[in-house]
Amino acid sequence: MKFAWRIVGVLVGAVFVFASLTKIVDFQPVRFGSPIVFARDIVIGLQHLRFADPMDFARDIDNYKILPWALGVQLAFYLPWLEIICGLALIFRRLYSGALALALALMLVFIGGSIAAKARGIDITCGCFGHISDQLSFAWHMVLDFAIVAGVIALWRWDGENPRVTERASR
Amino acid sequence: MRSLLRQGVLLLCLALLPAAGEALYFRDRISWHSRVAESEMVAVDLARNWGASAIWVDARPDADFERDHVPGAISLNEDRWNELLPQFLQQQWSPEKKVVVYCSSQSCNLAGDVARRLREEAKLPNDIRVLKGGWEEWLRTRK
Repeated sequence: MKFAWRIVGVLVGAVFVFASLTKIVDFQPVRFGSPIVFARDIVIGLQHLRFADPMDFARDIDNYKILPWALGVQLAFYLPWLEIICGLALIFRRLYSGALALALALMLVFIGGSIAAKARGIDITCGCFGHISDQLSFAWHMVLDFAIVAGVIALWRWDGENPRVTERASR
Repeated sequence: MRSLLRQGVLLLCLALLPAAGEALYFRDRISWHSRVAESEMVAVDLARNWGASAIWVDARPDADFERDHVPGAISLNEDRWNELLPQFLQQQWSPEKKVVVYCSSQSCNLAGDVARRLREEAKLPNDIRVLKGGWEEWLRTRK
């Protein structure tokens, strides 16, 4: 059982790391036609790896029409790194309780912002995976986001019932 | 609870370091005042002085364009991007001309988004600017 929860923790952490990388790194499009084409695209993509333009993420934040532009720019630099650090903390079980709390807070704020934007008629296609998940509908974004929240809450509850593990992981 | 707070604060602080590094790396490309960099904007007076050497692009929805628009402007909005872009390229576009994109006001995002798509997706080599203050500013200065 303990092993299964570790796997859940690694998966949730990996989701956060992946979500942050979609905002920090400029991914080249990868084709899934054949293994050779896929491998070649990966190699080419790695050769051309570069920082994504943080202004793109700032514009995504601005699309929610909640925060002033300047604050959105600051968050565009900060949030991806917070996500990656939380994700790594969940994977390697360091500062674990803090990472769980921050991951939950990030997700709740994001879901709240998305729902508020939708309620005001703002059509936002960019989800927590940057523009990689542009094709997903709002409903699917919500399903994904709530699944992540459920994962974080489950991990938190399990850790609450196993304080010795939490204590060890916090060191 | 204290441990949770301590860990949370530590993680928040840890994230500041790479974020500050990235901000330093991109310091020349940050636009703090609006989503369109100052260098990518143009004032109404200057854009008017460009006369025939500028193409005016209206990024507002069709209904707004039909109601009224800058004389000679063509409609190119994101709602009908795939339909209007080829028309624009075939009928109006010229590589030597400047392109002035506008939407309803200073706070609207449509002009900035259309200008960016013309640069990045259509890969136009033109000097593409967003009109400062948009249609509202055009109307104000016309009177």
